[in-house]
Amino acid sequence: MEEKLGSISQTLIEGKADELQKQVQEALDGGATPEDVMNQALVAGMDAVGQQWKAGDMFIPEVIRSAKAMSGAMDIIRPKLSESGGAGSGTFVIGTVLRDLHDIGKDLVAMMMEGAGFKVVNLGIDLDAEVFVDAVKEHKPDILGMSALLTTTMPQMGEVINALKEAGIRDQVKVMVGGAPVSEEYAEEIGADSYAPNAATAVDKAKELLQA
Amino acid sequence: MATKMNQTNNQGPQFEVLTESQIEQIYASALDVLESVGARFHHEEALELFNNSEAVVTDKNLVRVPASLVERALRSYPRSIYLQGRNGKNQVRLVPNEVAYGTGSDLPFFIDRETGDRRSTSYKDVNDAARILDYLPNYEFHMSHGIVCDAPNPQTYDRHQYLAMLENSTKPMVLTSVDGEGLEDLWRIATTLVGGEDEFRLKPQFVAYIEPISPLNNDRTAVEKLLFAAEKGIPAMYTPCPSSGATAPATMAGMLVQSLAETLMAVALCHLKKPGMPLIMGGVTTVMDMHTTTYSYGAPELSLACAANTDISKWLGLRMFSTGGCSDSKTLDEQTAVEQMTSLFYAHLSGANLVHDVGYIGSGTIASLDSLVLNDELIGMVRKFCEGLNTDEDHLALDTIREVGPAGEYLTHEHTFEHWREWFMPKLQDRSDWDTWNTNNQKTMIDYLKEETDRILNEHEPEPIEPDQYKEIKKIVHEADERHS
Repeated sequence: MEEKLGSISQTLIEGKADELQKQVQEALDGGATPEDVMNQALVAGMDAVGQQWKAGDMFIPEVIRSAKAMSGAMDIIRPKLSESGGAGSGTFVIGTVLRDLHDIGKDLVAMMMEGAGFKVVNLGIDLDAEVFVDAVKEHKPDILGMSALLTTTMPQMGEVINALKEAGIRDQVKVMVGGAPVSEEYAEEIGADSYAPNAATAVDKAKELLQA
Repeated sequence: MATKMNQTNNQGPQFEVLTESQIEQIYASALDVLESVGARFHHEEALELFNNSEAVVTDKNLVRVPASLVERALRSYPRSIYLQGRNGKNQVRLVPNEVAYGTGSDLPFFIDRETGDRRSTSYKDVNDAARILDYLPNYEFHMSHGIVCDAPNPQTYDRHQYLAMLENSTKPMVLTSVDGEGLEDLWRIATTLVGGEDEFRLKPQFVAYIEPISPLNNDRTAVEKLLFAAEKGIPAMYTPCPSSGATAPATMAGMLVQSLAETLMAVALCHLKKPGMPLIMGGVTTVMDMHTTTYSYGAPELSLACAANTDISKWLGLRMFSTGGCSDSKTLDEQTAVEQMTSLFYAHLSGANLVHDVGYIGSGTIASLDSLVLNDELIGMVRKFCEGLNTDEDHLALDTIREVGPAGEYLTHEHTFEHWREWFMPKLQDRSDWDTWNTNNQKTMIDYLKEETDRILNEHEPEPIEPDQYKEIKKIVHEADERHS
């Protein structure tokens, strides 16, 4: 079994999505627990991806291919995990704020978070504060992510946080913000819980938030 | 005396990335994109204009445009554009192969010169950048460098920014704006300075900077600005900022096809609104760094794609807003100098008209006054090289060589005295010997730079705005704040 799990990790590192789903299903059918597949194969594989990326041995297109494969594998694992009472990495809702149509950074974060095993709800762009509030109510995410590329749309992130407060649900979710003009200080100023300067850091920060 | 016949001279070195057949390939592919893929427009009037033409609008806001409309539109744009500063001087002529330099705009962060730390950019910073820009001789046009983050409301930052620039600069400008209403206020300010709407059309003092969202997406504010510029005849550039591999194909040719399609969409739309506005082609065409996901301002691909884009613009008969003098480095260091110099060189060789983003560091997020001063020196070197060399009789110097003869010297010759001033004279570079340098506190370029920046900030007094005009401008800014309070 250990060998099988190791091979799953390797398939994940290579980013072969179809092959990975097949192997995950086979492992489960062969009697492996979803926890073992999750932790020893998938999480271990993505950790290796993360390390190779940090070392400059893997690059973003490869990391994203692995992340996409991970997301496909999680579609199989997640229902099994909840059956056995275990939990995945958590739920992450993300969107770009009102009047901002720039979505590449936000999409990168969403893909990387999927790669870390999060269930990701990508709300889209140009979103009203209400959309964020409703999504938090509906999906009950552990973390809400917001992005803005423009200094003119950046204040909208604060508006969303205020709207969460008004709806009485601010304490039910951690808020993470990002985007080129955003800074650590700005995140603090608007009352966000966390700031990430790039997609990879967003994953690290998200994990930190869950442990807090 | 015998006369010279059939002589050809190079006015500077010759440089091109693309042949005419390659340009034709890219252009034909861009037209294909317009007809078969189209672009999205989040703006009612734009959709209506397209709908009432031979373009096709489907899926609510997806616009496809036939080649015939684009070709008709292309013929209606002016081929030369003349900009001027608020005092009527400092003209910039946008004619083929004439290169002018300027800053970029709207950097949210600023290197504080006291602490060396990065902080949010203020009105005062933009004001200081304008003072530096007004002084430095190698910059012909002016963008704000930083973005005014301490405006009473982010929705009116653009008016305050223009004011901060105008107070200290007399050079023609390229301005960003929040939306159509913002652009209208900037235009009202400019018409106040130049003496009315008609005068502005003849002597425009600024170009409106507008950008689509790659790939092939046009948001409401961008289209508002385009349509307002078309209506009033305000020079404007619609400048795609695709990142290859993320918001455009990973191949340079593919990125050029897409960004040209984005440009041609604006060409068609502005023509439908009102033919003839001075529309300028643009592009910050570069790669997304695949390790960091940074939109790279220092990549050689930026220079390559921008130079190729300039080749395309010349073939289309549009003037070009290109990019150079920028870096991904977070501070002034070796990386900054290498990257800034590289992109300056290729932008100049390509013959682009307005080379912007000069002085940017931190991948288009950080402003630095010292970096602006550094680039003035770099541009000087580039310009010297790109002048090429003269081969007339005087410059061939045959008479002088005869007079000096073998084992002679040129230092005391009149010919030397007449010509050595044609050379580039460094202001910030140390060419001294080791001992001199050592006794002079081992000063490096960074030290000279900081001294020069201090000197300009302390000494340079820009020509002031006339008090009556200043009052009127302040009123426009104030009214905007009132509307948005």
